[in-house]
Amino acid sequence: MNPDNKTWRAKLLLAVILFGMAAGLYGATLKIDYTWRWNRVPQYFVYKNEELHKAPFDGRVGKITRQGETAVIELIGDAGEKDRVTVDADAVEVSEDDLLFEGDTLGATHQWRLGPLTLGLWTTLWISFFAGIIGMVLGLITGLCRISRNATLRGLAVTYVELVRGTPLLVQIFIFYFFVGTVLNLDRIVAGIAALAIFAGAYVAEIIRAGIQSIPKGQTEAARSLGMTATQNMIHIVLPQAFKRTLPPLAGQFISLIKDSSLVSVIAITDLTKSGREVITSTFATFEIWFTVAALYLILTGILSQVIAWMERRLAVSD
Amino acid sequence: MIKASNVTKIFTGRGQVVRAVDGVSAEIAPGEVVVIIGPSGSGKSTFLRCLNGLEQFSDGHIVIDGVDLADKKTDINKVRREVGMVFQQFNLFPHKTVLHNITLAQKIVRKRTLKEAEEKARQLLVKVGIGEKESEYPSRLSGGQQQRVAIARALAMDPKVMLFDEPTSALDPEMVGEVLDVMKQLAKEGMTMVVVTHEMGFAREVADRVLFMDAGKLVEEGAPEQIFSNPRHERTQLFLSQIL
Ligand SMILES: Nc1ncnc2c1ncn2[C@@H]1O[C@H](COP(=O)(O)OP(=O)(O)O)[C@@H](O)[C@H]1O
Ligand SMILES: [Mg+2]
Repeated sequence: MNPDNKTWRAKLLLAVILFGMAAGLYGATLKIDYTWRWNRVPQYFVYKNEELHKAPFDGRVGKITRQGETAVIELIGDAGEKDRVTVDADAVEVSEDDLLFEGDTLGATHQWRLGPLTLGLWTTLWISFFAGIIGMVLGLITGLCRISRNATLRGLAVTYVELVRGTPLLVQIFIFYFFVGTVLNLDRIVAGIAALAIFAGAYVAEIIRAGIQSIPKGQTEAARSLGMTATQNMIHIVLPQAFKRTLPPLAGQFISLIKDSSLVSVIAITDLTKSGREVITSTFATFEIWFTVAALYLILTGILSQVIAWMERRLAVSD
Repeated sequence: MIKASNVTKIFTGRGQVVRAVDGVSAEIAPGEVVVIIGPSGSGKSTFLRCLNGLEQFSDGHIVIDGVDLADKKTDINKVRREVGMVFQQFNLFPHKTVLHNITLAQKIVRKRTLKEAEEKARQLLVKVGIGEKESEYPSRLSGGQQQRVAIARALAMDPKVMLFDEPTSALDPEMVGEVLDVMKQLAKEGMTMVVVTHEMGFAREVADRVLFMDAGKLVEEGAPEQIFSNPRHERTQLFLSQIL
């Protein structure tokens, strides 16, 4: 059998299995009598907001000038005040010379607004981004301390790594929010980012330590024998090579970080997960929203994977 | 140029104490080519690595160009600029192109401009016979080519002394010649060289002096003809009879 034929058959089998699972899922929802309402989902990404404009005083309507999409309504008050209100041309609710009382609706303007899922996605994105950057810096420093000749630095690094790796992230987030956050008077977002960064930093430290130790000693010897200082050797020789080797595990760590960031919803940060829960309380489209939320996380992590794969290809030129 | 007196290096680890170099004294004059031979584990590499401070010796003194390595005030990085080293495993920087391998230390250690450093690098690449490979990564080069780049990298720092630690031992036989040729050329130009090698032909042809080490001690030294044709010590005779 030729290999093309083989991969084709494997793909077909995969498709059949996935289709079977989807069908099973659908069957299961039929059994519990669930009505899918996917059409309710898009409005939680973007929606058209209607703003009503009201008359500011008693009086009458003056001239209405329509210009393309908008209309300008002139208002003349009983006491001689004048005003103009701009509304959408197709949402004018008064005619010229109408009598007006304060608070009457004159018309409306419409604007596209981002819905809670988009805002939540954005929050998740930047929380993960900052936590990732800080975690990377923390991890780099800790990783370097971990292999330092100074026993105190080594001890500190080990303590940090062991404390973080030995306790659940959820508990760390609570500690950060309720204890550290209270003591230092931190905003909940800051507490959340800090907790995630410190969590990620411990894992990054171990990855970086292993990466540095995987670089052959001969590299350092060559660099030092050319007169480079220990720092120059680290910056120009060891870290760039270690970075290349640690890119796959670091990528895994950052993908975990994006997913783990969903835990900050427990301290009332409106990230993607919390937005999803809030939307569900008003729509009851429980399944649709959770599936959508999962898909959004998948898109974020998928994009990150692609970026890292691209970086790996670029770094592979020296192989 | 180099004056080593009573140099001793003791490794301690896993409950063992190894006197890798045991009271070695040697003097190397400017322009002299000294070849160190001896059985595996006799301390040749360790002694060589003491000369540029890659190993901190436990006892004795090494003075290079008037600078005492044992002196705590000595800036070892300054000494190393003047002492080039070539390794058995080449140790090129795999993430940098051939050109960058040679320019990096010139820029950050010698503080040369990019233009100066590249000019120097190209000149040296031509000299070691691989002028056309400057934008390749080391992984694309043969062992012999890599070792010649490593020599160019060391030479780019304008060292006063070059140390070679078995520069041809990791090479396929057909590439040994091209590296030795570069080294012979250097010797001819008057470079001060200390070479650890098993290439007895090279030692005979190029060396001004041959040192024989065994079990961390400098057993015998002399002109190549004397060492090879008329070794005084029994251990030297035994070693030479085994490899020749
Ligand atoms: N870093 C080290 N730690 C412990 N022992 C070492 C180390 N380097 C070398 N040695 C020991 O020192 C002795 C001399 O080694 P080396 O200088 O490499 O010999 P040569 O280069 O002549 O083969 C050997 O017994 C070796 O095992
Ligand atoms: Mg050796």
